[in-house]
Amino acid sequence: MSVTPVTSVPRTARTSPALLEVSADNWRLAILVGVVVSALGVAALPASVSFWIVGAMAAMVAAAFVVNAYRRRYYGGLLVTPAIAVLFVMNIFPLLWSLGLSFFAYQSNQQSIRFVGLYNYIKVLTNDIAAPDNWNALINTAMFVVLTVSTQMIVGFLLAMLFAKQFPLRKYLLILVLTPMMLSVVASGVFFTYYYDPTFGILSYVMNSITDGQFILMDSKAGAVAGIVFADAWMWSPFVMLLVLAGLVSVPKYLYEAAAIDRVSAWRRFWSITFPYIRGLLMLALLFRTIEAFKLADLVILLTKGGNDTMTISYHLIRIANEQNKTSEGAAISYVMLFMVIVLTNLYLYLAKRRNREA
Amino acid sequence: MTATTKIKGVMAAAGFAASLMVGGATISYADEVTLTMAVPDWPPTRIMKKFFDEQYKPKSGNTVKLDVDFIPWPDFYTRVNASLTSGEQKYNFIVSDSQWLGAFVEGGYFRKINDLLDADPEFKKTFMEIHPNPLNAYATYPHKSENYYGFPQFPDVLVNFARKDIICHEEEQKNFQAKYNKKLPCTGEELDAMTWDDFRNVGEFFRRKKGEMLAGKPAEDDFYGIAFQAGKAYDFSSMQINGFIWQMGGNIWDETQAPSGQAEGVVNSPEAVKALETYLSLIEYMPPVAKTGTMDIFKEDELFREGKVAMAVNWIGLGEASLDPKTSKVSDKLVFGMMPGTKGPDGKMVRWSNIGGQPFVLTTWTTDAQIKEAVEFVKWWLSSDIQHQFAAAGGQSAVKSVYSDPKYVTYRPWNRAWAPSLDWQKDVWHVPQFFELLTQQQDQFDLAITGKQDAKTTLDNIAKFQQNLLTEVGLIQ
Repeated sequence: MSVTPVTSVPRTARTSPALLEVSADNWRLAILVGVVVSALGVAALPASVSFWIVGAMAAMVAAAFVVNAYRRRYYGGLLVTPAIAVLFVMNIFPLLWSLGLSFFAYQSNQQSIRFVGLYNYIKVLTNDIAAPDNWNALINTAMFVVLTVSTQMIVGFLLAMLFAKQFPLRKYLLILVLTPMMLSVVASGVFFTYYYDPTFGILSYVMNSITDGQFILMDSKAGAVAGIVFADAWMWSPFVMLLVLAGLVSVPKYLYEAAAIDRVSAWRRFWSITFPYIRGLLMLALLFRTIEAFKLADLVILLTKGGNDTMTISYHLIRIANEQNKTSEGAAISYVMLFMVIVLTNLYLYLAKRRNREA
Repeated sequence: MTATTKIKGVMAAAGFAASLMVGGATISYADEVTLTMAVPDWPPTRIMKKFFDEQYKPKSGNTVKLDVDFIPWPDFYTRVNASLTSGEQKYNFIVSDSQWLGAFVEGGYFRKINDLLDADPEFKKTFMEIHPNPLNAYATYPHKSENYYGFPQFPDVLVNFARKDIICHEEEQKNFQAKYNKKLPCTGEELDAMTWDDFRNVGEFFRRKKGEMLAGKPAEDDFYGIAFQAGKAYDFSSMQINGFIWQMGGNIWDETQAPSGQAEGVVNSPEAVKALETYLSLIEYMPPVAKTGTMDIFKEDELFREGKVAMAVNWIGLGEASLDPKTSKVSDKLVFGMMPGTKGPDGKMVRWSNIGGQPFVLTTWTTDAQIKEAVEFVKWWLSSDIQHQFAAAGGQSAVKSVYSDPKYVTYRPWNRAWAPSLDWQKDVWHVPQFFELLTQQQDQFDLAITGKQDAKTTLDNIAKFQQNLLTEVGLIQ
């Protein structure tokens, strides 16, 4: 008996509709209509109406993409659509919206809005009244980034080296060390406010007993900075420790055994065996903590309110945008910050890649 | 079914329908009206809510619910500002700091109340009975105009809190007399007569280390003579420094003189610089936290209640906790007087001070039904009986017939300083740029308080900033 081989029947590929063909999957036409209608709406109608028209056009274009993907069986694309939609609504749209606002003169407690081009950027960077505060806050932020991140990296690394070994009560001490990271920043801030308080605080109490003087940590810039850096390191060094510890426990034991047989020095053992395993995680910790440190505001608000020349750019931004309601100026500062973070992150990624290639 | 039964059934149905209709009419008449209010979380607003729940009976017969959102003081402005500017239209009533009027009136959030006052002569009469200083501060925009926006919720002034167990101690009295050739103030009247020089003397005299003798006993901890607000947050130094500046012949930028009134030359006048220098010179006699720029009104209150300070100038609004033995170690040892003053060229005491307290305001989206009930509520709140009860529970009244009543001074020990202080109250700017002016000024004062720049540089920087900003927005020409 002969068996007829089963051959797959090729599907006929659906052709894309012509540009001007009215069809639910014609995404090119949807974009064209969306852009034209949005432009006309923005030009001719009040902002309260044109906002919804632009929103409707965006929804129409999105719907055309979805129908197009469905008809042409781009199921992969369809599956990621909800995630992309959420990303767009929660992230990309606000970013674009605030970018737009930075080119207008707009205050959230006033009803008027006026296009001013690059005026807000020029003002925040060069105006002799506004700019010095921004630059000062940026310099302070850079100082906090360097101090807090380096402290956390060193302390976190040393803690990880300690907890990579087995010793009595290790499990309980590890939980204790991780606790600060789990506390809310507000709770930690209030705790440190009392810790540093010169009248009620334990730090001044101890120092006064030793020196027989009046110890006030936060009465100078150096002291206030030290207080903030210590509180931040107390909270976030355990995070660095966790990442490094994950790397340390992944090092195969036989490598150390082989090194022991070869009588390799402790430093060589660390540099040639341990470090390559934790380098990637250390760089990750560095990246995360640098980005977070750049946004430092909560502890500053709680401990000094920006006093003693400890104002950071994030807290300054909160005051400009939320307290003084200068929305557009705040948006311009945000984009200057965003630009700096992007440059720093890319610089970091470039260096990390180059190092990997060299390795 | 017989005809009689049918008729009975129809009548019963009609009766039931009629009862439903009448009942329905009654329900629709007794509407439920909810007034949503944003207030700072502290005793004066807690007392108001308690009185409302226990005593308020709306004349309209409606069921009126007061839905109060108690917000901690440090977040109060931020939360209210965010609510208003986001457009959520959540609150009908807001307890607003007087200086916010300009920003939120111009933003279209606070409702003008002249029509409500004009429509009710009895209400207007009560309203106009409010002392002119709090009335201007809490209700008018532009400042001191006849455009009214707010009703006083809790009027407040700065007074001098003092420990009589310390300052009236015989040995301390003798030593103070010997050192300064002046009597150490002990009674309320003697506190009233204090100048800032006397205050400084008290600060210097009572600075004691732990173990040194204090009022006949070794001090249990380091002890300090004086305290006042010197914090960077919100307005926690401006409210005190303004009083020094006005008392010593200086001025802040005067919004009532706009657009001809200038900032430069006024804000940094020699008198203002001298006043700020006097303020700064007192910080060394205060608890060490003052040098960190975090001596806000709450820290100052805490230090006083914990028995670390002999005298403290603070708002009456925080006084209730000092009298409560559950929250104060000095509750039974207190005496109160007016805030210290400055002797003028004619030898008379000058007592200008920055007014505290808050009005409540109506928002523009409040419906007619809510406005009707809100006005009734405010009339009830400002009625003589409730104002007396409020004062007796620790609040204050700016209604003349209430605070002039001889009973008034018996309610709380600081009430004796209340009426005389009212005549000496001024307020800081009500313009829309208030918060910008305030934050820059607070930043500059903080630099001076923490010893980073002198009084002249501080006021020069403030004057330059204000001149620039106010010129930009057309308030200075």
